[in-house]
Amino acid sequence: MKNFNLRDFGAGIWERSNRYQRVAIVLVTITLAALLPFAGASFLATPVAAYDAVLVYPVAIFVLMSLGLNIVVGKSGMLDLGYVAFFAIGAYTNGLLSMHTGLNTWEIMPIGIGAAMFAGVLLGIPTLRLRGDYLAIVTLGFGEIIRIVALNVSWTNGPNGISGIQMPPPILGKEFALDDQKLFFWVVLVMILLTIWMIRRLTVRRPGRAWEAIRQDEDAAELMGVPTLKYKIWSFTLGAAIGGAAGVLYAAKNLFISPEMFTLNVSILILACVVFGGIGNIWGVILGGAILGYLPDRIRFISDARLLVFGLVLVVVMNFRPDGLLPRKKREKALVKKGASA
Amino acid sequence: MNKKIKASAAIVAAIALSFGAFATTSASAATKTFTLAYQGPLSGGEASTGIDEQNGVKYAIKVFEAANPGYKINLVSVDDEGDPAVASKVAPGVGTNTKIIGLIGPAYSGATIASLPYYKAGNLTVISPSATRVSLTDPKSPTAKSDYGRPIFHRVVATDDKQGPALAKFATAGNTAAKVFVFDDQSSYAVPLRGYVEAALKNVKGATLVGGDSVPNTTTDFSPTIAKIKSAGANVVIYTGYYSQAAVFVKQLRDSGSTATFAGGDGVFNQQFAVLAGKAGEGAKLTGVAGLADVDPKIEADFKAKIGVSSGVYAVESIDAANIFLSGIKNGKTTRAAMNKWVKSYNFKGIAGANIKFNQHGDISEGGFAGFLVTGGTLVNKGPVA
Amino acid sequence: MFTVFIDQFWQLTISGIALGFIYVLIALGYTMVYGVLRMINFANSEIFMWGTFGAIVASRDLFGYNQTSEPAHGAKLALVLFIQLFASMAFAGLTAVTVEFVAYRRLRAKGTNRLATLISAIGMSMVLSEVMRLLTASRPVGSPRILEKVILVEVWGAQIRLDTLITIMAAGAIFIILERFVKLSRMGKAIRAVSMNEDAAKLMGINLNRVITTTFLVGGLATGAAGFFYITVYEYTKFNIGFTMGLAAFTAAVIGGIGNIRGAFFGGVSLGLAEVYASAILGTQWKSVTIFIVLVLVLLFKPSGLFGEAVTQTRA
Repeated sequence: MKNFNLRDFGAGIWERSNRYQRVAIVLVTITLAALLPFAGASFLATPVAAYDAVLVYPVAIFVLMSLGLNIVVGKSGMLDLGYVAFFAIGAYTNGLLSMHTGLNTWEIMPIGIGAAMFAGVLLGIPTLRLRGDYLAIVTLGFGEIIRIVALNVSWTNGPNGISGIQMPPPILGKEFALDDQKLFFWVVLVMILLTIWMIRRLTVRRPGRAWEAIRQDEDAAELMGVPTLKYKIWSFTLGAAIGGAAGVLYAAKNLFISPEMFTLNVSILILACVVFGGIGNIWGVILGGAILGYLPDRIRFISDARLLVFGLVLVVVMNFRPDGLLPRKKREKALVKKGASA
Repeated sequence: MNKKIKASAAIVAAIALSFGAFATTSASAATKTFTLAYQGPLSGGEASTGIDEQNGVKYAIKVFEAANPGYKINLVSVDDEGDPAVASKVAPGVGTNTKIIGLIGPAYSGATIASLPYYKAGNLTVISPSATRVSLTDPKSPTAKSDYGRPIFHRVVATDDKQGPALAKFATAGNTAAKVFVFDDQSSYAVPLRGYVEAALKNVKGATLVGGDSVPNTTTDFSPTIAKIKSAGANVVIYTGYYSQAAVFVKQLRDSGSTATFAGGDGVFNQQFAVLAGKAGEGAKLTGVAGLADVDPKIEADFKAKIGVSSGVYAVESIDAANIFLSGIKNGKTTRAAMNKWVKSYNFKGIAGANIKFNQHGDISEGGFAGFLVTGGTLVNKGPVA
Repeated sequence: MFTVFIDQFWQLTISGIALGFIYVLIALGYTMVYGVLRMINFANSEIFMWGTFGAIVASRDLFGYNQTSEPAHGAKLALVLFIQLFASMAFAGLTAVTVEFVAYRRLRAKGTNRLATLISAIGMSMVLSEVMRLLTASRPVGSPRILEKVILVEVWGAQIRLDTLITIMAAGAIFIILERFVKLSRMGKAIRAVSMNEDAAKLMGINLNRVITTTFLVGGLATGAAGFFYITVYEYTKFNIGFTMGLAAFTAAVIGGIGNIRGAFFGGVSLGLAEVYASAILGTQWKSVTIFIVLVLVLLFKPSGLFGEAVTQTRA
């Protein structure tokens, strides 16, 4: 038991399974996740906040954003403290387009993702040459700039924000309802599954290997002929795309957005989800997003000391499990210790 | 089991324990129990506003329970941190919890707009003591489709478009050649109010608008703003933000040697402004609605005895809002639909003496702003500004 | 647009420098820790906030001043100011050492990834600010006026006030003392040795834990001093003031070249000036945007800040 590691244990089961068993595992997992909104009557119930609403935001949307940020921070080792910028761009794209055009959420979705990706490329080209903490502060600044612009220009309604965003049109004849958010949860769940699928495909192919090389030693990767800047921009842009998608969904769920929703705190919280759950490992990141999204609402009964407890949990868990609740594979971890890049 | 796992197990156990500590209360058979809710910022940076308002609500409930034995009122505290993002998380739960028959709040306009769809869906009547954004009760505003709160939204506070002219008028009173500088703190409260003040200044004789600024509400160094004021030669400075920044600003303004009149709206109207600003606050002109101590020192003393602290901002409004629901409960309006009808037809005096009656949009017809002058460290009522 | 800037140039410059000197001291807190550990001390902003409360506790609770009392004069003034400075530095220094002990030490001993430490520090900064929020019931706290803000002279339309002058001179002095300490003292040499090469320094018999604790302490003292000047000039604090000041100071440290003590000085002063000038020209709402654009431009041409990353040299 000395080297027990839940992540490796899980991976072991997966590797020993044959094709049918794997399909079964996947189906059971998805079904269990899809049934989550029905667990509201159990000990999972959240006081004050509605359980099914909490499941959509923060829980599911945090998970989605954590997966996106994990591509940047976990897979390719770049510290991004301005992830909220892409979330804001997605949300504002939805807000502005639904205010001025007749487009519905699903038509806006690709535009929102495109806008976020464009912003990612625009920010990435000049700044991704920077390393480590310098990149962190520049991305942080970018996040703040987006928020301040939204606050100060008139076409975003300034601090009043945009209200009256359209609800998404019905899916398969089922209407979206305010007092029942199950359908919304399933929509976000599908987005999460698509994201997981995309990340898993990319990880085992050329970009994944390039990111891994960059994360472990950027100079060595460059010497070996990996076009590092190109892959870094790719990683950054993919992360941005997922952030943008989360933003579009968030605006459609919330029906109202304002600049104060897109502060640096969101970036920090999502980064905390990634590191808390287990940086670089998809399942860890999902767990981190779910727990940190869910916890503040679950402990609402300690009302005033909620954030204090939240901070303490971060300190304690990081101290006792520095690689997160579900760390990445030992093999990858061993290498990260030598290189100081993560 | 290694050390790591033990540690994690301990954490999990601790969390599980704290979850178990949450229990629901059940009503006893003898008394009639009803549930109201208060929504506002009870934690986070804006918490003091919410705590003050909730104390007002608690006071009203205590008075009601003492006067009507046999009634028990549960108050659900809905903490939205004053943040629309949090409000849209907690509002669905409140909207679907049909035990709650009336809600006092939300305190802030942004949080109100984020919560409204859920309360409309649940037909939950709300009475806000402090959400002043005009569009909430204006069917003609460009965002009326989402912001207009009819039929469930009501408020016992006058709106920004009433306050703007009052503030412009009071700030420039007695100054025939007022050169006015207006600035805000970038909040969703201050920016629209600044707009109404600037618009109203056009109708004030002799007053000219000479400049403005927009200062993030985390700023403590106001030297650039003061440089602008001096450069523009302003003799009246109006700030539409909140009291804590106002106190910091007015000190720096006086230290720079400026003698320009300082004026602020009901965000600045707070005894704490006079305390924090000290001597620099003397002579500041504020518009606001009379507080509890100003209305009746006896009630204020009773408040302090029952709640343990002095009444704070929007105490009068919070008590009035709570009393509307409480009188409904006493009159047997125990469902959301009945309560809504009751509030719509409500027509009684509030504790400040003015009549409370809602118009079709949910605004009160009577009650306006009074002007206050900071004199000797207290806010002295100079009568209504009309 | 430029009329205010031209009209009030000297006044703005003086205000900017005074603000800049406060940034310099906070930036030292970031830079000291970064120089040695190569880590952003995310909790430094809250260390600053605790420092500001130190000054208030001293004047209000120790000397019994309140909002309406008269400013102090003569020897009493010097005494109160000195005790306030001491209290600020003590509060902040203790907080910094606590942060190191709780959030950093265990993780450093394990030699694990830096992000875990970053999140641990973020958690610690949440705890620090929440504890203060609960203690003050989320309300702003005003500081009694100890130092009368007399206008000493007016030069070219710019007022030089007593508090501005004291801030600039005393902050400058504290900066020089710290800089000399790191440069010349035995402990300072040890700090620089650890920052050059941790393993080699250990082999040379340097007590690593003691050096790192001292680094946090020195950074905390500088940050605490900044808290004192902040209170003297603005006479106001709240549990959430740390964030804005900390972010600005951190940006200053990066512009100057994080880890570089002289860089922190230059970065702090130029950031103070940039902030005030941008506010006057573009409007105060655009000041942070301007600062971040300047930051990006500086980093594009000098990727490790204006003065480079060297307390010593970059570690491999």
